[in-house]
Amino acid sequence: MIKFSRYILVATGILVASIVLPSLFWTIFEKVPRSPNIFYSTITEDFVIVDGSKKKNPKGKEYTSEEYEKILPFMFFRQLMADGTMPDSINGVLMEAPSISRASSFYRYTPKRTDSPVPTLWPMFESQSGKVNLSMPEDYFRIEKRMEFIVARTNEVNEEKSSLFTSALAEEGFSFPAKIIAGIPTTRKSCDEGYFITDDAGALFHVKMIKGQPYVVRIETPEELDIVYIEAVDIRSREYYCYVFTRNKGIFVVMDEVYDLQRLPVDGFNPSIHTFRLTSDLFNKCITVMGSNWYEAIAIDDMYNVVATHGEEWEDLYERPDGKMFASIFPFEIRMRDDNSSFVRFYFKPSPGVRWLIVNLLALIAAVVLIIRRGWPLRSNIPDLLITAVTGVYGLIATQFFPNKFSKVKPPVKN
Amino acid sequence: MLKSILYKEWIKIRLVVWIALGLGLLALINIFLKVRHDILFVDAANYWYSFLFRGYTYFSVLKFLPFVIGLAVAIAQYFPETVNKRIKLTFHLPVSENGILIKMHAFGAVILLALFLLLLGLFTAGSAIFFPSNIIRASLLTMMPWFLGGMATYFLVALILLEPMWIFRGLYAAVAAGFVTIFFTGASIGAFSPVLLPLALITLVLSCVVLFSGYRFRKGEM
Repeated sequence: MIKFSRYILVATGILVASIVLPSLFWTIFEKVPRSPNIFYSTITEDFVIVDGSKKKNPKGKEYTSEEYEKILPFMFFRQLMADGTMPDSINGVLMEAPSISRASSFYRYTPKRTDSPVPTLWPMFESQSGKVNLSMPEDYFRIEKRMEFIVARTNEVNEEKSSLFTSALAEEGFSFPAKIIAGIPTTRKSCDEGYFITDDAGALFHVKMIKGQPYVVRIETPEELDIVYIEAVDIRSREYYCYVFTRNKGIFVVMDEVYDLQRLPVDGFNPSIHTFRLTSDLFNKCITVMGSNWYEAIAIDDMYNVVATHGEEWEDLYERPDGKMFASIFPFEIRMRDDNSSFVRFYFKPSPGVRWLIVNLLALIAAVVLIIRRGWPLRSNIPDLLITAVTGVYGLIATQFFPNKFSKVKPPVKN
Repeated sequence: MLKSILYKEWIKIRLVVWIALGLGLLALINIFLKVRHDILFVDAANYWYSFLFRGYTYFSVLKFLPFVIGLAVAIAQYFPETVNKRIKLTFHLPVSENGILIKMHAFGAVILLALFLLLLGLFTAGSAIFFPSNIIRASLLTMMPWFLGGMATYFLVALILLEPMWIFRGLYAAVAAGFVTIFFTGASIGAFSPVLLPLALITLVLSCVVLFSGYRFRKGEM
């Protein structure tokens, strides 16, 4: 029992060391990783890559700030108008500030969005109140065995409204409970479009409230979609309601009013590790899918046809000097937080390669030397040596912090 | 025999336990008076909104209370035993040395657990007046690591106090500090849910580590 309690302490020591030491290492040695921004220029009909302070095209030609502003007229139209260098028309389309700003939008998805705790109560706004401003409702809904509205002031369920919405959902074939509920739960938006909800079977629905009555649409999907995330957007062009990220079929947008699902021309997107960016202007949309050490940029026209693509790859973390150094010292690390998630977990990250074996061997030798110098028998320390051989520095520290001093002293007298 | 041992433990920690209970109740009263006040001022719907979408935790005053309670109970229970090595008297009783330490430790742990459960129960009951089950569940998920951290603190501080050598006390304290920090990692509401079970299991097995330094104490490690 006492020996067992020591191994618990050693294990705890290894856990703590494998969290603290790597975190200290990264704080001291970590270099800023590359994360370029990519835009598509209608003027040059090519991509513009902004990497740190450098702006260049895919062939490596660098732009000055003035050139950069000129080839991205939709991003810098205020500046260009102030300078008097904004073209009157581009591709035969008259340049006017309202239409430029209506067409401009930006959206960014990170894996954290999918892997986060989500609220289970949402406010249902009145989407056609006849007022210019939206107002906060007095109740919140949840969709579990049925759709329930809970009045905040009394903390009681509004039975009438709940059964009204529940039956409206059931009529459209909704199978309770809801899996994903996505909307924009704020009054600071141009108008309310309610919520996009997937049911227990994975089917997609649009639910909003119009003059106190439920409005429910079952959105037909072209094929079985394994939806992992939905983001409702409030874009001024009113082109689409939301982005739909799937695990199996890529990324879609749900077109405004008609509920057509338009697939974005992005292949191999993994929502749990990849970042997605979309910038939109009057003529084109520029999509960037980014992994830890690569990106793929895709420019599409207003009919969602691909007009250009460009990709780049660079050194991954463990190919960089700081990562290489890490992988030759530590056999693994444990993190409580991860860049791709908002959840706290024991994220176990083994170091690639076998260079850490050398340090593990040194740790093992150090452990043997310490044991021999203290005159302890090696045989009773075999478990400690095994632990040190496998966990390297962490094991050496943990086994020394909690001394294995049972061998020298007499065993306790049992009464 | 067992009754007398437990009574001795109770005498050592009772003052701390009553103070802890008093502090806990004060904290809870403070929380719910403030919730009531704020709901009157900003309206319940807005108050719910700040919890759901702004990550406002109305119970954040409770964050370090379990840690402080765990620390205080462990000190009250084990510090007097180390003064003049009094625990040696206990170990000279005609019963198993391990067994008696396990009983002392289990008594402290049960009292601490009961105190925490009482506070969590009262918190749940109070929250039920103002909030629906969804918010209460999310709140409890968020508070759970703090209370588990309180238990882990008790177990590890007992280990540190019974250790006879100062240098090892320091080394244990370093590991204990690193481990207890995990429970208090700043995180959004409900972010700890995937790690609660593993943390609870580790905390459970940590309940027996006091035997290690107890053993070293008995053997007169210098």
